[in-house]
Amino acid sequence: MPVEKSQRLLNLIIGLSSTRHRLTRDQIRDTIEGYEPLPHGASEDEVRKAEASFERMFERDKKELRDLGVPVETVEDPVHGDEIGYRIRPAEAAMPALDLTAAELAVLGIATDYWRGAVLGSDATQAVMKLASSAEHGPRVELPFAALPAVATDAFATLVEAVADRQAVRFEYSSVSSGAGTRTVEPWRVVLRAGVAYVIGFDRDREAPRTFRVQRIGGPVTPVGPAVADVPEEIPLGALAASADVSTARVALRPESGHALRRRGTAAGVDGGWDLYDVEYAHGDALVAEVLALAGGARIVAPTELAQAVAKAASAALEVERG
Amino acid sequence: MAEQATDRLVRMLGILTYVERNGDTPFAELAAHFGVSVDQVRKDIDALWVASEPGDSWSPIDFSADDFDADVAALVRNDGVSQVRLSPREAVALVGALSTMGAAGALPEAGTQVLAKLRDALAEPVTVLGDDQIAPEIRESLLEAIARYRIAEVEYVDAQDRRTTRTVDPHRLVVIDGHGYLECFCRRAQDYRVLRLDRIASVTVLDGAVEHPPTDTAGFTLTPAFRATVRIARTGRYALEDIPGVAIEDADEDVIATFDVADAAFVAGRLLAVAPHLRSVSPARLVDELHRQARSVLYVQR
Repeated sequence: MPVEKSQRLLNLIIGLSSTRHRLTRDQIRDTIEGYEPLPHGASEDEVRKAEASFERMFERDKKELRDLGVPVETVEDPVHGDEIGYRIRPAEAAMPALDLTAAELAVLGIATDYWRGAVLGSDATQAVMKLASSAEHGPRVELPFAALPAVATDAFATLVEAVADRQAVRFEYSSVSSGAGTRTVEPWRVVLRAGVAYVIGFDRDREAPRTFRVQRIGGPVTPVGPAVADVPEEIPLGALAASADVSTARVALRPESGHALRRRGTAAGVDGGWDLYDVEYAHGDALVAEVLALAGGARIVAPTELAQAVAKAASAALEVERG
Repeated sequence: MAEQATDRLVRMLGILTYVERNGDTPFAELAAHFGVSVDQVRKDIDALWVASEPGDSWSPIDFSADDFDADVAALVRNDGVSQVRLSPREAVALVGALSTMGAAGALPEAGTQVLAKLRDALAEPVTVLGDDQIAPEIRESLLEAIARYRIAEVEYVDAQDRRTTRTVDPHRLVVIDGHGYLECFCRRAQDYRVLRLDRIASVTVLDGAVEHPPTDTAGFTLTPAFRATVRIARTGRYALEDIPGVAIEDADEDVIATFDVADAAFVAGRLLAVAPHLRSVSPARLVDELHRQARSVLYVQR
């Protein structure tokens, strides 16, 4: 009876973990239960077929174990020429002991909902299954929390792998400043902000660190070989960093208008039919947009350049023709 | 559909590690914990048992046969296999989701604990930025009302800056597109609503009991009124990217965005901010609304 695949993978993990040095492909084929050893007295043709079939099976098994997070190491041995061997270091492969409570395991279940239907969905489910071995058993915990699925693309998942494997990647990118084009990037880190995914890395064409919004990547992300630039100790967050530069604007609000600004700001008296507030801001554009969206319920008193930006945007809007 | 080999492998390693940590364990408990039948647990343990080291009949994993017959997993020996660590994708999926829930103010206490444990073990696989800065007292009051099945009075400022006081039957906190919301039944609207947590100005827990059960349909239920097409210079692209369901195409120096509009006033308010970059907007009713708002702004700000 043929050995089931899950059994064969388990035997492969045990074999590669227990070897003192390494196992060569021949040793794996001949000694690990689940692979077919070369038949005795087989013809040259039969041997070639058996070897090809083993190669396919082993390559697939090795990839599946690596995808699962098992570090299958390649070990070259000068004594044996160019024959490649493999091993797993048990301490590196093992899940650290985490001691999770039943409530903590329940929260992880909610976290998997966040990726449901998206490319990381099965990864999240698999991760919770792995962590269940570190969790106490208890009655089902119901929590009044939920997460609706985020948009996660194949590009995001490929970038996560490229960061971990230190691979350079190539993709089509639609940039705000320089238009659409092919970019070759060594990704350093994936970043999530308010549900939006970014990747920060070294842009080989610009020879400088750049931040990319994953949503602006069109088509597939293709690995193109090992990354060469060093990953900096501190990843530069660029425009994603919280601005330390905070200024104060004075805004005038109609009664019963600008509630969000009122909550953030400090009351600064009244002027005719207007309530005055001082509001801190890091990005002038954001404050201008907020005031514009109030459609006449607010105006900027100071600084002048922001007041002018509001008037300029409104004037431009009047020029937009019925398309 | 047959189970994936790796899914079964992960469960088998999980059962092994669980029994190693917790001692002799009835099959029924393993079945409940790992979400499979007792029969499947028996098969998984059988498969662990017959696992072999290369080239000989040595079984590195051994269970007590008597206990096995009594449907109890009792480990006699395990020579060095255990549950495998998280892959990079798995780590990003869990830490990313939990951190996003945390930044949105919708992560339970147990979530904060498990996130700390994961970050400790995984060396920070993903950076999560941003913080909706939900006031703790608002969060605590909502959770108290939910836990005690009490209705609450909520002061709310909506996206169009309308301030309302509503009595709601609160159900749960939910993360949608990276922000935290309260799912509730609003007695004023006599319908289910999701209220964004960072727009809730105050919460008062009332004595009345929750009467409306949670709904099965989660999230927003806005009905689109029409579909809009906006052509805009590339520089203005950012303003349209967050619109739910938007499709953006490149067109020379511009991009063309198409999306559903539920509330023309709201969308026009966003377009105002990027008006200097706008090339064309359709349909006409959206342009009319844009013009109306622009005139209102110019009336107060010149």
